[in-house]
Amino acid sequence: MLQALADGILTGSIIALGAIGLTLTMGILRFANFAHAELITWGAYMALGALAITGTFAGPTPPFSFGLPLVFATLIAVVLTAALALLIDHLVFRPLRSHTSHMTVVFASFGVSLLVRMVILLIFGGSAAYYSNELQIAIRVMPGLRVMPDHVFTLGLTLAIVVALHLFLQKTRLGLSMRALAENPDLVRINGIDTRVVVRWTWVIGAALAAVSGVLYGLTVQLRPEIGFQLLLPLFAAAILGGVGNVFGAVIGGLIVGLAESLSVLFVPAGYKMAVPFFILLAVLYVRPNGIFGALRGGAK
Amino acid sequence: MTKHLLLSGAFGLGLMASALPAAAQSCEIPVGSVLSITGSMAAIGKAIGDAGQLAVDQFNEAGGVAGCNVKYILRDDQGSPNVGVDAAKTLVEIEKAPVILGAIQSGVTMPILTSVSVPGKVVQISCCSSAPTFTQLARDGGTGGYWFRTLPTDRPQGVVMANIAKTKGYKKIAVIHVNSDYGVSLARSFKAAFEKVGGTVSSVTPYNQEQASYRAEVNAAMQGDPDSLFLIAFPADGATALREWISFGGSQNLLLSNSLRADEFVKSVGAQYLTKAEGIDNAQTEGPSVDAFNKAWAAKFGSAPNGPGLHTMYDAAAVALLAMEKAGKPDGTAIRDNIRAITTGDGEVIFPGPDGFKKAKELIKAGKPIRYEGATGPISFDQFGDVTGPYLIWGVGNDGKLTVVDKWDKTRVADAIAEIDK
Repeated sequence: MLQALADGILTGSIIALGAIGLTLTMGILRFANFAHAELITWGAYMALGALAITGTFAGPTPPFSFGLPLVFATLIAVVLTAALALLIDHLVFRPLRSHTSHMTVVFASFGVSLLVRMVILLIFGGSAAYYSNELQIAIRVMPGLRVMPDHVFTLGLTLAIVVALHLFLQKTRLGLSMRALAENPDLVRINGIDTRVVVRWTWVIGAALAAVSGVLYGLTVQLRPEIGFQLLLPLFAAAILGGVGNVFGAVIGGLIVGLAESLSVLFVPAGYKMAVPFFILLAVLYVRPNGIFGALRGGAK
Repeated sequence: MTKHLLLSGAFGLGLMASALPAAAQSCEIPVGSVLSITGSMAAIGKAIGDAGQLAVDQFNEAGGVAGCNVKYILRDDQGSPNVGVDAAKTLVEIEKAPVILGAIQSGVTMPILTSVSVPGKVVQISCCSSAPTFTQLARDGGTGGYWFRTLPTDRPQGVVMANIAKTKGYKKIAVIHVNSDYGVSLARSFKAAFEKVGGTVSSVTPYNQEQASYRAEVNAAMQGDPDSLFLIAFPADGATALREWISFGGSQNLLLSNSLRADEFVKSVGAQYLTKAEGIDNAQTEGPSVDAFNKAWAAKFGSAPNGPGLHTMYDAAAVALLAMEKAGKPDGTAIRDNIRAITTGDGEVIFPGPDGFKKAKELIKAGKPIRYEGATGPISFDQFGDVTGPYLIWGVGNDGKLTVVDKWDKTRVADAIAEIDK
């Protein structure tokens, strides 16, 4: 029971990181970006590629299974993922956004996601990869609860990022413009804010979070070209559950999805665990159609 | 095109059948065969039909069966149960065949067995249907003993693994298996066998393929503090699950299924964690009887018998015909009662081929016992009509290379199964 709780929180926090990026882009850019999941895969693999260079300088730092090399590799991955997101926006979404209907952009994001996945497959191959071939053995904290240092790190990092992001959205000028754009695009333009800059930064932040989420996923599970695709449904469930555009909502949504999956195994056969978060999603949307923290109108809170 | 070929094939068959009696006996015994010559299994069905034809031709060359020539009647089931049942009905009711060979797919074989063979008291031997439901049906008495198959099921694997777990001294084992027909039935047969030899299965946890993480499943499997794990999985997902299992402090006393015998799996998990692991896999059947079939096939068709169902189909036909010779008459029940008499015991060993069958006929005439060793090696049907195959036990060396730790030939497997069934 305790163990399932701990696992749920861990899986939930990784989903939450991805869902924050998704919820931001959905709230501000106003379309469901299916390619977001692929940014996660891209980030994870870019870190793997960068690790081949940075990994030669230093070994892991106990008690973690990784060291400074992975931290640097993650920074490189963040930059490369943001670059990819901006490139996709420039080549695909921006031309489509101004001219065509909403659905075209959504379907374009499907195409982009396939393209990115195949490129990763082409470069890195289809078999599972790991940042380190060493396995970290869990530490027994108390009877019935084993924890790995990497997991504690993941949790702590998620928490720090959420707080930082919250402060950014509440206190900085850029954060305020992002929220304003989500609330009312026309009014933002009238006030002389360059929406293109705001959109660009939304992509950068969303992609950076996706990359970090991908690295953490690769660190705690494994790297495969399909990881983004496998996370796609949980991500959307978390974002919608929390209310589109709501950062804290996405975190809570992620935790609910993670916990529902891991706790459900105690009550229903493991084969059905995938369905449980969606039952919860249905139930929540029935009571609160805009998600738990969703306002009546869209917007980043 | 296919239809045309089929017609001309049937025509040729008819010609052969009408030409042969003049050379040998005047009577004919029909042997029916229902296979997928068209439909989803068409790619392999044609060659499987040829394997049956080869056995029948060799018998006729050796002088026929029970004083008569054998007439091989091949019918197409088109991969559909209705068509298959109709074909089998025609074979039994109009052609009066005492034996039906086939079908390929379990979904076709089953309705033929329950609605044609068993009520008609006709022996049915399948080359290719591996579903565990047949064993269950036989156990419940639904086959009347008329059902046999020459393809091993996954039950022997479960029995062998249970024996290994017992030898290694594992008391409480957790099972994690892929949620498919294969995984479910292997897990079930392992559990039954392991409990029979005195062990406990602490939990059986299914997992769905292609999931992000298996922490939840691993956690469920860890309930009850098992001292070992039997993992039935495919390499990629299996590596994910096993890494999580080991990370969480799960035992490194591991048993692994045949599908995990892959370098990719060992590399992903890390060889250092697999040094205590042992896995099972099907071993290649070898021996002079197998060579005899391979040679005969190559001589007739000009290619090596590479393809599913060829060896097993040949043996299905040969076993049926030898049992008929031993019974002395083309009667389903008599054939059923003689099938084990010609495959077990200390009789003289008979190999595939006209010479072997000629020798068998002479020995049977003299009242001496025979034991047929076929294209799949020695054959021994258990009480449910299932055969076993040879297996190898593999492990992982310190250098990460896959090694062969042990070999289980058919006799050893059969003994282990007999021990469980006792």
